[in-house]
Amino acid sequence: MTSSKLQPATRRRWRGSAPRLTPYLFLLPVLVLFAGFKVYPYIYAAWLSLTKIIKGQTTFVGLGNYGRLATDPIFYKALTNTLIILVTQVPLMLGLALLLAVAFNSTLLRFRAFWRTAYFVPIVMGLVAYGILFSTLLNSHHGLVNFLLESVGLPRVPWLADPVWAKVSIIIALTWHYTGNSAVIYLAQLQSIPGELYEAAEIDGATAWQRFWHITLPGLRPAITLTVVLSTIGTLQLFDEPYVLTNGGPNNATLTIGMYLYQNGFKYFDFGYASAIGYVLTGIIGVIALVQFHFLRERQA
Amino acid sequence: MFAATGRLTRLALATTALATLATAASASELSGTITVWSWTAPADGLEAAVAGFNELHPGVTVKVEDVGNPAIWDKITTGMAAGGAGLADVLNIGIDYIGNYIETFPTGLVNLSEVGADDLAAQFPSGMWASGSSADGAVYGIPYEVNTSGFFYRKDLFDQAGIDINSIVTWDDLIAAGPKLKEATGADLIAMDKAATVADSAGLWQLLTNLQGAFYFNAAGEITMNGPAGLRSLELIKKANDAGIVADIPGGWDNFMMQIKGQTNVAVIPAASWAAGVFENEAPDMAGKWRLRLPPSVEAGGLTAAISGGTYLSVAGTSPNKEAAWEFVKYALGTLEGQQATYEGGGMFPGFKPMLESDGFVKKSDYFDAEVNKFFIDELGQNTPVVNYTTDYARALKAYTDAQTQVLLSGADPKTVLDEAAALVAGQTGRTIAAN
Repeated sequence: MTSSKLQPATRRRWRGSAPRLTPYLFLLPVLVLFAGFKVYPYIYAAWLSLTKIIKGQTTFVGLGNYGRLATDPIFYKALTNTLIILVTQVPLMLGLALLLAVAFNSTLLRFRAFWRTAYFVPIVMGLVAYGILFSTLLNSHHGLVNFLLESVGLPRVPWLADPVWAKVSIIIALTWHYTGNSAVIYLAQLQSIPGELYEAAEIDGATAWQRFWHITLPGLRPAITLTVVLSTIGTLQLFDEPYVLTNGGPNNATLTIGMYLYQNGFKYFDFGYASAIGYVLTGIIGVIALVQFHFLRERQA
Repeated sequence: MFAATGRLTRLALATTALATLATAASASELSGTITVWSWTAPADGLEAAVAGFNELHPGVTVKVEDVGNPAIWDKITTGMAAGGAGLADVLNIGIDYIGNYIETFPTGLVNLSEVGADDLAAQFPSGMWASGSSADGAVYGIPYEVNTSGFFYRKDLFDQAGIDINSIVTWDDLIAAGPKLKEATGADLIAMDKAATVADSAGLWQLLTNLQGAFYFNAAGEITMNGPAGLRSLELIKKANDAGIVADIPGGWDNFMMQIKGQTNVAVIPAASWAAGVFENEAPDMAGKWRLRLPPSVEAGGLTAAISGGTYLSVAGTSPNKEAAWEFVKYALGTLEGQQATYEGGGMFPGFKPMLESDGFVKKSDYFDAEVNKFFIDELGQNTPVVNYTTDYARALKAYTDAQTQVLLSGADPKTVLDEAAALVAGQTGRTIAAN
């Protein structure tokens, strides 16, 4: 009798607790990695941003690093550069990606798989190979780009050595690297737009432009929201391209917030200041992303 | 009870005896593996010292790793910031980094004074020795490479233009000769990375400023980059640039090679002593065309010598095998035999005085038609000032490079940009700008 009384109870308890524990066990590896490589560095960097190494001792300085940042002309230069690249490069890239996605989706295009792959390949290219490729192409003396410009009678361009052209070079490299990524996202969304809509519109006499404007674009809105927000975050964190192409120069013309953070941390060993830059950047990204989400969601509704 | 105490005492005595034995044994018979971090040619030099070291300490395995430069600085910095995790036992560290490592990470490197490094001090140039020590004189690095200024010029181009190199005494003379040389040969006098987008491009300014006995900072650590010497240097550079005799060649190794090989025609390369071997190895076809001399002075009668960088060997504070690591450093840099093997293998210019005075160290080079090492020994003999890199060299270097870029690319006023750069460094570091 006692055993039969116990058994259901045990079973119930086992049954009751198992479903609650199992999902967490499955999540455990991710949670451990997330805690170790994300949460811990975030918290540690927050602490670091309130410290300064004085005579070899990590010393608490309160908001001292943030105060210094507020009056640091180089930080404002980095911020301005980053914003200039953001407002020119992101619209340019997403516009191009949209055109490419529509082309990739068109039945008129032959060898579609080839074109899709060709435009997506740059995204998997390693940083170093990419850096060498572009610095060779854009070399002012023996670069292919200047050779082509000269051969059609145009003057040479100091691609990496002039403050304005250096920014242009960064924008070109960025666009080359990431356009394929956004194009693939658009393409996936395009394929979910029902073909009947286009057929119906065609029967109603809509032109190609009207079909694009009234069917394609609204259908792509979720993908556009996603890519705008992701590209904005990516560009605000921009580091790779100026690092491999211009080293932030000439005279800080392509210094981005990410580059400045790197310089402070790894060149000047000023980890506290670098962490403060990281937190200010996080704040900027948070605010801009919120504004974008808010804006794009309202238009959707 | 009594018996137990007795046994304990005996055990303790035995342990002490064993420990003593172990210490005595480890001094003569070290064992284990030590790793050495260096790059390219300096790594080759250290590799060459391993065989001789193993004759003395057969139990120690030495692994020399070429981790690349500048990658090595990021690797050491991250390792230091992580409390020394993952660092090699022996680290090859540049003069421009070591001061900052010593001050920022007080336990990152072993205080070599505690293991007898001070005995070596008299064997090395004092200025170079001082830069590897902390403010209170504790030694953290033993000088490996000691570079002095190497002024290389194209004899064929100067001859073609009919300019007697011996008539050039000061940098003003040299710059004045530039247009004539360019007209006759088409070659620019000198090359600079005007946009400084590949590497920092401050070598020439640092040389000119050193020749006037100054640097970014003075001995007290105050900012002097915008002082009279620094300003004079940038004015000289601007004068050369305005005269149209400065070629704009991006920095980096490949572009340096193109100058050496004569593919980019420049008449003068103010490099450092380490470059002499590179010329002979990389551009054998140019034999007889390049010559070497002491650099011109800035003011007539001024210094014609400058220490232009160098490197140290240090032992990581977290090394599990510090004793073996120090023995290796001591062998490679503090013995004539080790120095000879290292020099043979890598060709880095040494600072060890017995090595500089040893037979055969000064020998005639057919390539330069001169006793090359004699120039550098002469420079070490001149009374060059101690170069104070401080913990903020990297910031000052960056601020200067940006100032120079404005002068070279958009003709900015040297005084204005140098004052701005000094103010920027002062704001970043809390250092004061020295009163002129």
